[in-house]
Amino acid sequence: MRNRALFFGDIRFQWKYGFYFLYLVFTLLYLMILQLLPSAWKPKVAMLLVFSDPAAMGLFFMGAIIQLEKGEHTLQSLSVSPVRSHEYVLSKLFSLGLLATLVALCLATAGKLLDHPMHFILVVFAGSCIFSSIGMMIATKTETLNQFIVATIPMELVINLPAVAYVLGYNHPLMLLHPGCCIMELILFGERMVLASLSLSFWAIGLFLLTIHVVEGFFSTLGGAKK
Amino acid sequence: MIQVENLHFSYTKVPFIQNMNFAVHSGEIFGFLGPSGAGKSTVQKILTGLIGTYQGNVLVQNREVKHPHKDFYETIGVDFEFPSLYEKLTARENLRFFASLYKKTLPLEPLLESVGLASEADKKVAEYSKGMKSRLNFIKSLVHEPQLLFLDEPTSGLDPSNARLVKDLILEQKAKGRTIILTTHNMFDATELCDRVAFIVDGSIRALDSPRNLIMKRGAHQISYTYQSEGLEHQRNVGLSTTADDMMLQMLIKENHLLSIHSSEPNLNDIFSELTGRRLQ
Repeated sequence: MRNRALFFGDIRFQWKYGFYFLYLVFTLLYLMILQLLPSAWKPKVAMLLVFSDPAAMGLFFMGAIIQLEKGEHTLQSLSVSPVRSHEYVLSKLFSLGLLATLVALCLATAGKLLDHPMHFILVVFAGSCIFSSIGMMIATKTETLNQFIVATIPMELVINLPAVAYVLGYNHPLMLLHPGCCIMELILFGERMVLASLSLSFWAIGLFLLTIHVVEGFFSTLGGAKK
Repeated sequence: MIQVENLHFSYTKVPFIQNMNFAVHSGEIFGFLGPSGAGKSTVQKILTGLIGTYQGNVLVQNREVKHPHKDFYETIGVDFEFPSLYEKLTARENLRFFASLYKKTLPLEPLLESVGLASEADKKVAEYSKGMKSRLNFIKSLVHEPQLLFLDEPTSGLDPSNARLVKDLILEQKAKGRTIILTTHNMFDATELCDRVAFIVDGSIRALDSPRNLIMKRGAHQISYTYQSEGLEHQRNVGLSTTADDMMLQMLIKENHLLSIHSSEPNLNDIFSELTGRRLQ
C-alpha cells in the first residue's frame, strides 16, 4: 500500500513540477534530430540518444527532484513517517525509470532500434536505475542546485565518455566493467551479452543498496527543528 | 510515555547533550524551552528515533528508541517549525499524500475545517500565506491520529486569532489523552499550554517543573497599585508580606479609589534568564 502511495505520489510530483513537460520537450527535440539525419546514421545516433536519456537526464532530473524536496522541507516529514529508506529509493527509481523507458521507447522506434522490445525495456530501465541512483546520492550530499550541477559534471563525463567510445568502436571486453558500455552492448545485442548482463546487474544492485545506505544516513540528518 | 536516563550525545568529540534525565507522562504537554543551539532539536531527533548513536537510555512508549518497533512512526506526529509541504500541490493533495503513508487516517475535511482551511483546500500551497501554511502543517501532523505529538513553534507566524485556534486544538489533543512535546521560544505559549517545562541550555537541563511552580517558587515579591490624587495618577509598590501595614492601600480599598492593582510575579523569561544567564526571546 505504502509503496503504491509513494510511487503515485512521485508521479504526481513529477507531473506537477513540470518534469513530464521537460521530458516531452527533450523527446521532441531528439525525434527532430533523428528525422534530419541520413538513414545510415540513425541507429547509432538513436542509441546514443537513448543512452543519454537515462544517463544524463535521469541523473540530472533525480538530483533536481531531491533538491526540490529538500528546498520544500518535505523530506523532513518523510523522515519521521513510516516510509523506509528503501521504499523511498525504490519509488523514486521506478517512477523516473518508467518515464525514461517511455522516452527511450519512442526514440528507439524512430531510430529503428526496437527489434527486441522486452530486452530493450529491461536494459533501459536498469540503466535508468543506475544513473538515477548516482544522481540521488550526489543530491543528498549537496546543499544547493548549483552545487549539485557542479558535482554532476565529472560524473557525467565518467559515465558518458566510455559509453560513447564503446559505440564508436573501442570495445575491449574490459570496457564491460563500465555500466554505460554494458548498456550499449546490450542495446546493440552484441556478442558479450552474458558478461554485459552480469556486470549491469552487479552495478544496478550494488548502487541500489549503496543508495539506500546513503539515504538512510541522510534521513538521520533531517527531522530536527531547524534543519 | 518517555523516559530518558543519563543521556549523552555529541556530533563531534566535544560533549553536547550531557547527562540528561527526564520523564514525560502520558497525556502531558511537556515543553522544551531554550535558545537556538541549546540542544532542543537534537533531543527531538533522538526521541523520534533519527539518531541512534546516543549513550544512556531513551525509552519511548516503553521501548528503547534506537530500536523502534515496526509501527513506531504510525504513532508519532511531528509538526516542524518550517512548513514541510509540496508547494505546487493543493492543500488537499498534500494532506491526501501524507495520509496515504499511514495505515490509519482521519477524514480530511473536518481537519481542514478545524483550522479554517476547508474553503481554500483546493488552492496550491504556493498561494498560501505563512499563517495558512503553518495551520496546514499543523493538521498534517494530526492526520494519522498520533498518540505522541512533537510540535515545534506551532504558533510561529500566526496572528493572535489563529494562534488561539491552534492553541485550542493543542489543548483538544491533550484532552483526548495525547502526549505532546512542545518546543518553543514563546514563554506565553509555554506558560499557558505546558504541564511542565524543561529549560535547556548548552545541552543540559537547568530546570524542570510546572510553569506555575517555577513562577511561585520565585514568588511575587511585591504588588503595585495605582490611584488618582489631585487629578494625577500615582503608582506605589508595597512588599507582598507588608500589604496589611500599608495604610494608603487600606484607605484606597476602603474608599474604592484604586485604579489598578497587581502582583508582579516573574514570567518564565525572567526565570530562564535568572537560571541560565540567557534570554529566551
